[in-house]
Amino acid sequence: MNANATPVLEMRGVSKAFPGVVALDGVGLTLHAGDVHMLLGENGAGKSTLMKILSGAYRKDAGEIRIDGQPVDIGSPRDALALGIRVIYQELNLVPQLSVAENIFLGAMPTRWTGVVDWRALDDRASQVLADLGLDAAALGPRTRIARLGMAQRQMVEIAKALVSSASAPAAAAQGLRVLVMDEPTSSLTSREVTQLFALIERLTARGVAIVYITHRLDEVFRIGRRVTVLRDGRHVTTRLLSEVNVPELVRLMANRDLSEQFPKVRAPRGPELLRVEHVSRGGTLSDICLSLHGGEVLGIAGLVGAGRTELARVIAGADRCDTGRLLVDGGEVRLRGPADAIARGIGLLPEDRKAQGLVPGLTVARNIALPHGTRLARLGVLPGGSEAALAGPIADELRVKSTATQTVRLLSGGNQQKVVLGKWLAGDVRIFIFDEPTRGIDVGAKVEIYHLMNRLTARGAGIIMISSELPELLGMSDRILVMHRGRIHAEIDGADATEERVLRAALGLAS
Amino acid sequence: MIAARQFGTVIGLAALCVVLWILTPHFMSVSNLLNIAEQTSINAIVAVGMTFVILSGGIDLSVGSIVALSGVVLGTALQGGQPIPAALLLALVVGLACGLGNGALISWGGLPPFIVTLGTMSIARGAALLYTEGRPVSGFDASFRVLATGRAGFIPAPVIAMVLVYLVAHFALTRTTFGRYVYAIGGNEEATRLSGVAIRFHKTMIYGVSGLMSAAAAVILTARLNSAQPIAGMMYELDAIAATVIGGTSLMGGEGSLGGTLVGALIMGVLRNGLNLLGVSSFLQQIVIGGVIVIAVLLDTVLKRKHRV
Repeated sequence: MNANATPVLEMRGVSKAFPGVVALDGVGLTLHAGDVHMLLGENGAGKSTLMKILSGAYRKDAGEIRIDGQPVDIGSPRDALALGIRVIYQELNLVPQLSVAENIFLGAMPTRWTGVVDWRALDDRASQVLADLGLDAAALGPRTRIARLGMAQRQMVEIAKALVSSASAPAAAAQGLRVLVMDEPTSSLTSREVTQLFALIERLTARGVAIVYITHRLDEVFRIGRRVTVLRDGRHVTTRLLSEVNVPELVRLMANRDLSEQFPKVRAPRGPELLRVEHVSRGGTLSDICLSLHGGEVLGIAGLVGAGRTELARVIAGADRCDTGRLLVDGGEVRLRGPADAIARGIGLLPEDRKAQGLVPGLTVARNIALPHGTRLARLGVLPGGSEAALAGPIADELRVKSTATQTVRLLSGGNQQKVVLGKWLAGDVRIFIFDEPTRGIDVGAKVEIYHLMNRLTARGAGIIMISSELPELLGMSDRILVMHRGRIHAEIDGADATEERVLRAALGLAS
Repeated sequence: MIAARQFGTVIGLAALCVVLWILTPHFMSVSNLLNIAEQTSINAIVAVGMTFVILSGGIDLSVGSIVALSGVVLGTALQGGQPIPAALLLALVVGLACGLGNGALISWGGLPPFIVTLGTMSIARGAALLYTEGRPVSGFDASFRVLATGRAGFIPAPVIAMVLVYLVAHFALTRTTFGRYVYAIGGNEEATRLSGVAIRFHKTMIYGVSGLMSAAAAVILTARLNSAQPIAGMMYELDAIAATVIGGTSLMGGEGSLGGTLVGALIMGVLRNGLNLLGVSSFLQQIVIGGVIVIAVLLDTVLKRKHRV
């Protein structure tokens, strides 16, 4: 790729302020055709804001955007589309009830002169697009319903859709897809799916598409990235070729502090058994699960997506019931009829999907943290004035939630939102913590803060079950690791003996 | 009681009053304003229950029918010589029971609120007609009329009742765990459940509140008309939803306030009264009110969108 050629996209001096915060302060980003440009930064660094300006969701306060050297005005998502700019968000925008072909051509379906959809043309064109992307028609048939697809396949449909709708946008008939922004595309993919996605990205760049790739996974940065731009606190820190930087340097650039230890694990003395799970089975998802959790211990649970890890977490947290088997807390059998029972026993769940399961977006930070503790705080059902703030204030401080107590959580960044969900369980008498993907989608700095918090909890005698898809994190923070495969516990590995390879082999169902 | 975002609604109400004042000076007389407040009280009280339900992410289409059923039960009890407190209690219990029934079917039966309350709308209406054989019930003791005609100083009893209901309900919504859960359930039911909140119980109670408010409105309506009619309360659900929505409560749940609903109900009352004073035909009035509902929500949406970006 010739670096002297006119860049496909040039953003210069872009600024954007929201009431109370400057989200972007004179940020620039330059993309060349065929580039995979990694955009890094902690949560709240301004990555999303910059991409929302590019996609026309926000208007910039100042700065300039050029496409092929020509200044452009992106005033709406339509404008961005017409310029060949597409964004694929973490939450995919597909209609699950419709087929692959229908989703790809949604809004631009081929019709006969009567206005009736020309199904054959639709199928043909969809197959053409999928074949162009090198996707196997057997794996991803145009008539398959989205609801039946896995996350990785859905993502590929999104990419196909990006290609098509850019091509059919009125002003860009000749241009097609120029810039594709991918926001944490691998956050819910298995490693094999990630490989497929990366192969697809390579095919796109070979066609001259420039890609902006946002991620928190540094290994991916080096695997597919060519250049990297780091943002911090709304400012441009650096843009480099990835061949010229290494991981510690990148982390330092993002966090502006030396994270000498990514996983600051502190071993706590092993306490009495807090939780015992005996022969728990549920539907087709869990079979004959036995485990035990002691105080002071972090029990890691590894496994591929669909291995039953989240289902296990939900049974222990009382969110779902098991068909057979029993749970013992402090040696006594407990029957959990709902989350309230689990909480009363000191079990707190940090759910996998914080937006859908962890937070009430319209409530304030303090009210979210106090939500599980209403009954305890209230006198005859009445919440004494300021009681929620008094409960939540110290916790928000301890977790260093960057907000005021009266701010609604909707406006917080991912890391801060996750801290609020954690905060719900720090306020009570919870001693058994279940963390389901505790650091998914949050920045390096916030991750380390959560690891420190885990150390503090185990030091107090609490036990933690940590489900994670990030192996380094599991290996770095667990005292023991259970590996699940198809609803069963396939292996138990002591933290000291665990290697990525051993865990991965077990997760794939191989003998360890 | 009135959050910053309801400010626009208040300005709308004020602007409406000024325009009507200019067009018809009689509008601003104390007697007319009290008249408006009194007429508004019934819709405003029904809308309290509707606000709880909508805040929790639901909808209650049965309020008008519950007004009718509670009303005829009250009327029949009074006519039969029951003491007033006993008759009132009976009416309130009937309304509460209808609401709790709605709530139980929604929470434990897992049915959509729209369907359940649509069913109750028809069932309660039919029950009211059956109970009275379709005839109005009247001939109450004069002392019962005090609930409509009585005044404290110069303020009519229904207005006092409305103010009391709003104060208590506002306190419940903002200062109690119940109120907090109403917002939390509407904002994110699953997160609230995982926080250990008894969703089914609280949802049932929310619809119970709505039924209770309908019964309270039925008491005032019956006293004002000095008669209980099985066809009373027609379209009340739409008025209550309109007041709630004009007041800025999101139909998606989780956001809104009772202060907004009160202003919304007042806007509707002022509009009806003003149009009457201006001699606008009742057919045209419907068109105007429908337009106001749409415009109010449109403004709210546009303002919110501007605010967010």
